[in-house]
Amino acid sequence: MRLFLIKAVATALTIGATAVSAVFVTTHLKNPAAPLQPAVLNAGNGSSATSLDGTLTVGPSVQPSNAAPITSTYAS
Amino acid sequence: MPPEASVESHHFEALGTNCSLFAVGQSRARLVEGEFWVRRLGARLTRFTPDSELSRLNSSAGRWMDISEDMESILRAALRAYAMSSGLVNVAVLPSMLAVGYTRPLVDGPAVAALGGVGPLPPLPDVLEIRGGGARVAAGTGIDLGGVAKGWMADRLCNALGPNSLANLGGDLMAVGDGPSGEGWPVGVAGATLSLRNQGAATSSVRKRRWGELHHLIDPRTGLPARTGIEEVSVVAASGFEAEVIAKSALLLGPDIAPIYCAARAMAWWLGGTHDG
Repeated sequence: MRLFLIKAVATALTIGATAVSAVFVTTHLKNPAAPLQPAVLNAGNGSSATSLDGTLTVGPSVQPSNAAPITSTYAS
Repeated sequence: MPPEASVESHHFEALGTNCSLFAVGQSRARLVEGEFWVRRLGARLTRFTPDSELSRLNSSAGRWMDISEDMESILRAALRAYAMSSGLVNVAVLPSMLAVGYTRPLVDGPAVAALGGVGPLPPLPDVLEIRGGGARVAAGTGIDLGGVAKGWMADRLCNALGPNSLANLGGDLMAVGDGPSGEGWPVGVAGATLSLRNQGAATSSVRKRRWGELHHLIDPRTGLPARTGIEEVSVVAASGFEAEVIAKSALLLGPDIAPIYCAARAMAWWLGGTHDG
């Protein structure tokens, strides 16, 4: 009889915890409008543009500039 | 926008290419010191003079040789480049370079190619061993430091030139600080201008140092000049050294994989002249 009671209590606790968890999760939905960190948001879709005979892709950690370049990278 | 600070600049030819140094708040004498450092180190790293430190190491036939502190740092960087690129950037390329006829500076013209015995390059750790103050290169092999050395040197130069400086060694460059206007150093990359702050850039190409069907960029998987379907790659990364490694790796990976590889490793990238390999 005592063993049965222990099993019944354990089962009831498990079911109760599951039910409470389900309620908690459904009442704390992630805000779908919450922004990702900027680096993550932009990492996969940096700006791309056709440049010379190829495509230049610029990630979020590099800023395009309108200034005249002081020097360049090039093949040597 | 803050007023633009005056930039001291210095241009010279060394390492078989054009070099430019820029700094804000430094004297021209400091930049000239930088040129002397490049020339001194370049003389030790060249494979085109028989008594250079690199040539003596290459001809040491597997014996341990004492090396300078800078040489040790560059050789360790070469091993890092090999690991970073999963073997694609392998400085154990000298036998292939000689086989394709790149036996002397190209201003003197290439030699006759003899590709008969060329094969995949051995793993760099099998060729190059380093210990404190010493190194050995396996007999029958040889190393050519090429762009790895230029990227490494650009990074080191910026450390020496001050907190707001830029070193460009034949297109392998490093920019530290906020540049003359406080918005980064404006650097040309594939026809566009990008502002670099504490970032490096490099270009790897099969369009230059080319003669006939041959060129200097060896694919370690074949030991022959690379034919991957990309002709030129420019990369911005955290340092000149990293940019060099990523650019060369991307070019060797070819047009299908290079965009994914660059998206994972580079801060900006340009893939030029892509076609079916």
